[in-house]
Amino acid sequence: MRSGLIYVIFAIGVLMAAILLAIILAEPVINAGGAAHPDFPGMQIGGDGAARLQHIGVLGFAFQCLLLTQIVLLSMLGISERYRSLELNCYMGGCLGLMLLIAWGMFSNHLQYLDTGTTGYFMGFPTATAWQLYGTWLGAIPLVIIYSLGFGKFIYTAEDEEKYNELLAEKASQTVPSTSV
Amino acid sequence: MEAFRQEIIVGAVVVYMLFCIITGLWAMRRTHNPSDFFIAGRGLGPIVVALAMFSSTLSGFGFVGGPGLVYSIGVSSFWMVVISSTGYALGFFLVAKRIRMIAELYDCLSLPDVVAARYGSQTVRFLIAITIVLGVMGYLATQILAMAVVMQAILSGTEMFAEVGLVTCVVISSAVMIFYCVTGGIIASVYTDVVQGMIMIIAGTLILFTAMAVFDGGMQEATSIILADDSEAIMPWGAAGIMASLGWFFVFGLGLAGQPHIITKMMMNKNIRDNRTILPMSLFGYVMAALLWISIGIVMRAAVVDGVIDPLALPDDAASVFLSVFANPLLAGIVFAGLFAAIMSTSDAFLNIGTAAIIHDIPKAIRGHSVKNELFWARVVTILLAIVAASFALYSHFRDATLVAILGAFGWGTFAASIFPVVAVGLNWKGATVPGAVTAIVTALLINFITQLAGYTFPYAISGQLVAFASSMLLFIGVSLLTKKPQLDSDIERVMEI
Repeated sequence: MRSGLIYVIFAIGVLMAAILLAIILAEPVINAGGAAHPDFPGMQIGGDGAARLQHIGVLGFAFQCLLLTQIVLLSMLGISERYRSLELNCYMGGCLGLMLLIAWGMFSNHLQYLDTGTTGYFMGFPTATAWQLYGTWLGAIPLVIIYSLGFGKFIYTAEDEEKYNELLAEKASQTVPSTSV
Repeated sequence: MEAFRQEIIVGAVVVYMLFCIITGLWAMRRTHNPSDFFIAGRGLGPIVVALAMFSSTLSGFGFVGGPGLVYSIGVSSFWMVVISSTGYALGFFLVAKRIRMIAELYDCLSLPDVVAARYGSQTVRFLIAITIVLGVMGYLATQILAMAVVMQAILSGTEMFAEVGLVTCVVISSAVMIFYCVTGGIIASVYTDVVQGMIMIIAGTLILFTAMAVFDGGMQEATSIILADDSEAIMPWGAAGIMASLGWFFVFGLGLAGQPHIITKMMMNKNIRDNRTILPMSLFGYVMAALLWISIGIVMRAAVVDGVIDPLALPDDAASVFLSVFANPLLAGIVFAGLFAAIMSTSDAFLNIGTAAIIHDIPKAIRGHSVKNELFWARVVTILLAIVAASFALYSHFRDATLVAILGAFGWGTFAASIFPVVAVGLNWKGATVPGAVTAIVTALLINFITQLAGYTFPYAISGQLVAFASSMLLFIGVSLLTKKPQLDSDIERVMEI
């Protein structure tokens, strides 16, 4: 585990923190976090969507992209370094590409709606929201597939199992409980 | 059937509670030692672990607060649901294999045990145990209060129990939960979770179809009504805006791998290889059950905006009003049983990890050994913990309504910010150090407590939980990189190379 992956994760984290700081310091917009509905108590409205994104829209999208990148990098951190092969990198790169594509689909369709005031629908929801609801959820399914179908190849191989069983056997044969927690 | 609506609902809930009691008695015969009580002797099959894991994730908050949040802020709250695939995947990549290995190798009974083995530090064990106790108190009190409020609402609809008080409801619901948790420990807890999970899947699926039938044009008509009233509410960032939504994406997506009641379940499976099937099964269950969250919330908001029903007194009434107006009595009975299932399945998990922290980890961190006769004390402390949480819930309800809300909100974010870096990253990075872990936990606790108590929100609705989590992650890695590389126990080093 001597790879520089943790440094990349740290660098992405620093970038995300910098974006958060930039958003905190950005020119404020009234009711950016919603306002009370004028007619129905307990309900909130978002109001002017374009105004809410005016100063921080790009920063927010960048934050989301970095977060998706961080998720894929952290998933790779959970895989032993010796299994981080070109094949795995390609799969993980593909996952990230798909997630970013979905994020862009959602973001651009929302901007388009704010521009035109019209939207299509997909499976019951406005197009931008359909990208968010179905897309975000499905976007991480390739990660689930890599974990489940690639379990014996990337996560816990036959060799790993053998090593672990050896370790258990050694531990069982020890009489002094020196490593007991 | 409509004439017997309340009786059918009460009947469904009573049957469910009887099932919990019988399961407790059955599990008591299988609970012989602390390992059985806390981690089911690491002998559970994949289906049991998968259902227990997802049903522990989706608490009463998901069944009551979730639809209420959609009613209140629209699509913003969808982010807590759609990140489930990311959250579960990340949790399995980072935690599932190594936590199970260390648990077996070191005979660990709890998450702080695993942390102590990884870092070789009683300080880190103590801090994680304290974090768990603090989070558990808030969560448990919230769940007990929710359970009692729902029970009172159900019983007050009947002639016989119309005048039933909240205290009585707290006593009845807590007594059932305490009974099966004390008698059967985690074994009773996970086997009730299996049935609870199934009820939640069935409830979520049936509710989706019911919700789609409320408007002639189905879900599209409902979302069109909301769009015409306030388009932002049905657009991807919802009424709460982009940073509130992304904050939930961060805290709920990454943070799932830091929830002790969920990752402790990863220590309980019989075979490490089962993880490959547990992940998709848990995710499937969660998504099906969460259909209730989204569909009720959207339909209720649209129905109120369209004038089909009167505005709700409180957003959290969304689910119960939907059930009484739109659902057939039998379905309402199943869903109310599902609601109790959701609350109890999370509460029993919290009772278990809270008890472990109090009788096993805190004494071990301070005195070097846990209490004698752990199984006996585990049962005693389970009762005491539930009583304290129930009293706390009642005190908060009658004297200071903010207390439980503050600690309840404190729970998930604090667990995520404190435990994710130390456990999820720490189990996969040999360079993680004790100072890094201590700094991360203390920072997470401080930021979460201060922002919650002060009620402070950052501009653009950035939450304190997001700031706490981002800070603790950075400090964990940063301080670890700056401090001396630790000398790991040789067995831990070998586990981390597998």
